[in-house]
Amino acid sequence: MIKFDHVTKIYPNGVKGLDDVSLSINQGEFVGIIGLSGAGKSTLIRAINRMHNIQGGNLNVDGIDVEGLKGKELRKFRRNIGMIFQSFNLVTRTTVIRNVLTSFVPDLPFWRVLLGVYPYEAKIRALESLDKMGILEKAYARVDQLSGGQQQRVALSRTLAQNPKIILADEPVAALDPVTARAVMDDFSRINRDMNITVLINIHHVDLALEYVDRIIGIKAGRIVYDGPASGISNQNLEEIYGGDLAKVGNSAELAKKERA
Amino acid sequence: MSLYDKFFPPRIITLDNGKRIEEKRSRAPLVIFILLALSAISVKVTGFRLSTIITRGNQFWVILGRMFPPDTAYIGEIWDPLFDTIKMSIIGSLIGALIAVPMAMIASSNIIKSRMVILISRLALSIARTLPTLVTALIATFIWGLGTTAGTVAISIFTFSYVGKLLYEQIETVGMGSFEAMEAMGCSRIRAFWCAIIPQVLPGYLSNSLYCFEGNVRYAAVLGYVGAGGIGIIINTNLGWRDYSRVGMILLVLFITVVVIEYLSFWLRSKLT
Repeated sequence: MIKFDHVTKIYPNGVKGLDDVSLSINQGEFVGIIGLSGAGKSTLIRAINRMHNIQGGNLNVDGIDVEGLKGKELRKFRRNIGMIFQSFNLVTRTTVIRNVLTSFVPDLPFWRVLLGVYPYEAKIRALESLDKMGILEKAYARVDQLSGGQQQRVALSRTLAQNPKIILADEPVAALDPVTARAVMDDFSRINRDMNITVLINIHHVDLALEYVDRIIGIKAGRIVYDGPASGISNQNLEEIYGGDLAKVGNSAELAKKERA
Repeated sequence: MSLYDKFFPPRIITLDNGKRIEEKRSRAPLVIFILLALSAISVKVTGFRLSTIITRGNQFWVILGRMFPPDTAYIGEIWDPLFDTIKMSIIGSLIGALIAVPMAMIASSNIIKSRMVILISRLALSIARTLPTLVTALIATFIWGLGTTAGTVAISIFTFSYVGKLLYEQIETVGMGSFEAMEAMGCSRIRAFWCAIIPQVLPGYLSNSLYCFEGNVRYAAVLGYVGAGGIGIIINTNLGWRDYSRVGMILLVLFITVVVIEYLSFWLRSKLT
């Protein structure tokens, strides 16, 4: 269970990334987070595995106080959380299987990492993980030869090989065409259902979000403005999340710029 | 508005629809003026005289002429120092390039967050780069005695500083996506560096190391002057005896060696990209 209790994140330039956010997500939920660019979607997701620090409130994941973690504890904690990125973040100059094998790197002896010699069981697990995503035959191809959709599947295999309880996905389909995006969303849905993995997904495509996820969290300028079932969301809710008039949209664009800077 | 723009105001271009835009004046005249002034100062300071070059220049051809024909019988005595030179370059380049990796890692601002660590490691690289190889070799002969060890150390230090600087600059320009992904799955920074950054910089790193090795063969040839072993020793001796035909033979052998090594290295580097 992920529990945000009055969480506040302030960036060094004074912009509030998260503003008094309280919510809880149960194991096995499929949650979509929507909002304008810069509204705090990435910040929310990255606070969970402490890729971002928070300044106020309390963030608890499966009974662990995330802010209290450091060094080795933090790395151990991150082993249970998978992460998926918009630009896949694979090592493109090497083979698919080597990328999936990187998910075992934290637990291997250092000499194995240095020499790149992975145990046989690790290879089998990596190949099984690729098979689950239906790209086993690409295992020994170089990543930069694959299409975007295939690369995102490699990233998903890498995450699955780490056997996570939670998967955080930051705009996983934003760089994909509509058909591939749908296929990848199907993958997320399957992983969520079959393996009871909590999936949190940041997404710009509202239609895709409403179609696939069970629960929507709408965020605006760091505040939660909607939290409820995907089926219960109204046009009025969407207008509130994305800002009804142009002036508000302009304002959020300013925020987005500040957050990036 | 900069000072330059005050003295040379920008040209204002007005479009047909009344919009105006400023075109800043070129900085080139100022740069050329500064370069000319600096050249003039350096000529004055160093006492450079074109006439000396012209009147004494023919001596170069005289010495070169005495090198022909090269003394081919001397070749038996060249092999040992030549192989010493090559050994010094290979081992020195290898050691230097290897120790450059951890140093480059802690000098990269995208891997290491502590300003202090970055500053110290870059300072170490800068100091190693500022020391002329000949001086390093001279110091090394005081520590390890005359011979190839001193030369190897000097070449290692130069390679370390050169490859290290190029490597950390390369590391700072790579995509950080895969590094972020590795950190998010619970990797320490060192492991993430090894698995996510190294594959991206490896071809460039190998290419730079080979290029540095090419240069090192030539450096190694002169290190004998300060007693650091290799072919430089016999060049020095024979120049001292004014035995130019032997010097000619040494230079010929050295030339062929350098060409062969540069060709090999070029071929290897072309395979890398």
